[in-house]
Amino acid sequence: MKLLLNLVRKDFMKNKVITTALAVFLIISALFMAGGLRVAGTMISSLNGLNELAMPTEYLQMHTGTYDEDAFEHFVETRDYIKASLIVDMLNISNANIIFQNETFEKYLMDNGFVVQNEKFDFLLNMDNEIAVVQDGEIGVPVYYAEELGIQVGDTITLHQGSYSKNLTVSTIIRDSAMNPALTSSKRFLISQADLDELSLNIGEWEYLFEFLLEDGTSTAVLEKDYLDAGMPSNGVALTGNALTMLNALSYGVVAFIIIAISIILIMIAVLCLSYIIRATMAEENYTIGEMKAIGFPGKAIEKLYQIKYLMLVLVAAVIGYLAAIPFGNFFSSSVVMYCGHGTSQWMQWIFPLIGVILLSLIVIHRCRRIIHKDLKSTVVQLIRGEERIKKEGHYSLPSAGLKHRNLTIALGELKCKWKEYVVIALIFVVSSFLILLPMNMKNTIENPSFMTYMGVGESDIRIDVKYSDKLAGQKDASLSYLENDPEIERYAIYRNGYVQFQNADEDWEYLRVENGDGSVFPLEYLEGVAPDDSKTIALSYLVASEFGKEVGDSLTVKYQGEELIFFISGIYQDITYGGKTAKAAIDFAEEDVEVYIIYVDVSDGVAIEEKTDELRSILTDSKITPISEFVSQTLGGIMDNLRLVEGAAIVISLLLIMLITVMFLQLITAREQSAIAIKKAIGFTIRDIRIQFGIRILMIQCVAIIIGTVLANTLGEVIFGLMLSSMGASKITMIVEPATAYLLYPAAQLLVVFITVIVGTKVVKNYHIRNQIVE
Amino acid sequence: MIKVKKISKSFKDTLVLHGMSFEIEKGEFVAVMGPSGSGKSTLLYSISGMDSLSDGKVLFEGINISEMPEAELSEFRLTKMGFVFQNAQMLKNLTVFDNITLPGLVAKKESADTIKKRAAELMKRMEITGIEERDIREVSGGQLQRASICRAMINNPDILFLDEPTGALNSGATDQVLAILEDLNRDGMTIMTITHNPHVAAQARKVIYIRDGQVASSKEFQTGVDREKELNDWLRGFQPKAANEECTH
Repeated sequence: MKLLLNLVRKDFMKNKVITTALAVFLIISALFMAGGLRVAGTMISSLNGLNELAMPTEYLQMHTGTYDEDAFEHFVETRDYIKASLIVDMLNISNANIIFQNETFEKYLMDNGFVVQNEKFDFLLNMDNEIAVVQDGEIGVPVYYAEELGIQVGDTITLHQGSYSKNLTVSTIIRDSAMNPALTSSKRFLISQADLDELSLNIGEWEYLFEFLLEDGTSTAVLEKDYLDAGMPSNGVALTGNALTMLNALSYGVVAFIIIAISIILIMIAVLCLSYIIRATMAEENYTIGEMKAIGFPGKAIEKLYQIKYLMLVLVAAVIGYLAAIPFGNFFSSSVVMYCGHGTSQWMQWIFPLIGVILLSLIVIHRCRRIIHKDLKSTVVQLIRGEERIKKEGHYSLPSAGLKHRNLTIALGELKCKWKEYVVIALIFVVSSFLILLPMNMKNTIENPSFMTYMGVGESDIRIDVKYSDKLAGQKDASLSYLENDPEIERYAIYRNGYVQFQNADEDWEYLRVENGDGSVFPLEYLEGVAPDDSKTIALSYLVASEFGKEVGDSLTVKYQGEELIFFISGIYQDITYGGKTAKAAIDFAEEDVEVYIIYVDVSDGVAIEEKTDELRSILTDSKITPISEFVSQTLGGIMDNLRLVEGAAIVISLLLIMLITVMFLQLITAREQSAIAIKKAIGFTIRDIRIQFGIRILMIQCVAIIIGTVLANTLGEVIFGLMLSSMGASKITMIVEPATAYLLYPAAQLLVVFITVIVGTKVVKNYHIRNQIVE
Repeated sequence: MIKVKKISKSFKDTLVLHGMSFEIEKGEFVAVMGPSGSGKSTLLYSISGMDSLSDGKVLFEGINISEMPEAELSEFRLTKMGFVFQNAQMLKNLTVFDNITLPGLVAKKESADTIKKRAAELMKRMEITGIEERDIREVSGGQLQRASICRAMINNPDILFLDEPTGALNSGATDQVLAILEDLNRDGMTIMTITHNPHVAAQARKVIYIRDGQVASSKEFQTGVDREKELNDWLRGFQPKAANEECTH
């Protein structure tokens, strides 16, 4: 063993650069693998913990307006599968009426409800994951706002309308198992019963949440059907526990998913590099191996000798990767910990990464063994003569007209002969270019105004939600009249949104959010078919159509106000709002059934959207006015922030990756070609010439790789992005590319990194001398 | 043509060449001999500018090449010097013919056609026609070494440096190469060869014997003598006494 360790030490001293670069590769792979799994472990523990302690509802139905409490109680009593139920009285207060540090909440899309603590389940927890308690004059603020606005315990929230104003002191930050993530569009504030009673007399509109816990093994679908059949209050959104879990997973899981995806790519690269390095090193060692075999050294001993180095390397990488994954994972899971707490299964954050690095080590060791074992199969004579290697390379021809560009001609000729050696580095250049571009393209696509078309409406500048009022119609008319007379408004259109029931494939009735308005003002691109153009046609969102197996031309029975209406599906569009499940049809909603009026507005050229938004907010004080860009980013919740984070990380990782691989590759290739280098120097090529030739070969490969990576990011990337967003309701995404950045800046940055690395990495050319090639 | 003035060369702490001086006249055929490790190859690389000197200078037709920048020295080597090595060092990814023409095409002193024509002539002279398009692994050691000489001659150099040119060849191939060298020298080519083989050295008109990085002695042969016999007699004087006695017994 001592002898083996000694050999490893000597080998390391001999190949310092390659071994170090390989170690860095393996460490980064292990770090990402362990880090991603640590985030995943933390997330699972956190979500489970929150679910255990907060006892979230398994079915939630929202409702505004009056309801029959006795009928509800009777419904609950007669269903033995209902374990528990409760009615939450939630006082919705317009964002314009909630003030923190002299600013209203208007820039937030969230609907804000004020509630008291529940008694049976669906508890709002404090930051210690205990059931939160607030006294009179105190308020518990959702963790979302604590993060977004930096609200802390001790701060004051003011609720203000007209002459009424009430200050509440923040006494706790609230974790809400139902409405925690940025992706859910409502947030709950916790106040005392006395304060809620007082507020309700002065401000806000009541909304009711009908919540249920079910006996084990009962499907929410049973309850849902029963509930609707019984005519229970249901004019708002219904959510199942599963849907809430999915929203949570989508919000917090994206980071873990991306890190694990990157780690898989890195592991693939590390294994590729390792294979290449082992093969290259073994090729250099063929003579020695041949000699060892010739003197009768046992094959297993030779295998062991060459494996031990890689075994030690991977073990060191696994340990460092695992340890480094602790702060790394903690950083990326800080959001889920903030929102959900540490949870009750903290062992997961230690065991998952451990399994990950063990798996990684096994993959690497297995790969090493296979390559080394295969290499050692050659006969002594083959090894000593190096026959196998010599056979592989062909030759190129010098141009008959002479060498106009000698370095270019020779570099390309050699590349033609040795292209197989460049496959690994080319692949890594492709992957790094892809890794840089994909998150950037995704971010650009989301930030582009045309992303609006994935939200069920054509491109526009501002969205106005008219809601929360007894005088909804009056408010709407006031808005329309203002817009009509404002010369800075280019165009606008109003859409009535309400709920109808529709019959799914199992002939059960389900609620569906329908929008009614003139689709031609802000024309939407349909996935299939066209917009509904008469009172007999309906367009469905992609998720509704795919979930219920509906296609263009199919019929759909819709129930509104007890009357069954038959529609034909005219088109299918993409929509990621409202859980992706919407429809468009000319349903003449009665005023009291309109959940919200949404007005989309385009401002005239030269008018600043932000300024117009502020102006509208100051005039239409009861409406929620949001610039579309803000609407998109808030609808996508943390995904945008995550993408920004991933974009930055991908650039750093990719550049580091190409730098490392270039250094490693140059070390290997110059060592392999030391004879050619020495000959070239002897016959009159300058050191600069030879370095340029290496540079041309690598940069040429990189240019091709960048082109491939860019094409892949635009094509395969679109598919990946589509898959990511299809669960939200958009399946066919057209990637928006920022040409200057994607086609110029980032390729230039990658080329520059490799160029500088080549300058440094080819310095070694100086050391190769013809005298070393002569066997005296 | 070449004036070697008190050159020294050391690698780390080892002094390989130690204040060596001598001259090579134009058209001369000089062989450098000496025991293994005496600094023969180092001397060749130092004179030709492939290695930098630790001290002293080398004047090539009056030009001090010891202080030339690397790029200029490469150009100088490309156009003024030809090299032949023991193992017929050639680029594996070029055919025999392209290996020969490469220095000519890189130098760009003449047109590509002229270079190719000369390459063909040289190959004919070296009696290796027919292997032009072959891969360098598809020809014999002797053919390859003659191709190396063609490559060394492609730019009409002023001097030909050879480092153990027949070290890897059998006797038949050795004689072919020696005949070529003699022929070239007869045409006026200056040649300096490193060798430990008296048979090769006997082709030269001047032999320099070096030991411990210094010129131990040199000998010029007169015309019409049995050079090989005279050389062997001369060399016997450099052999250690004990070894001499052992040989005698």
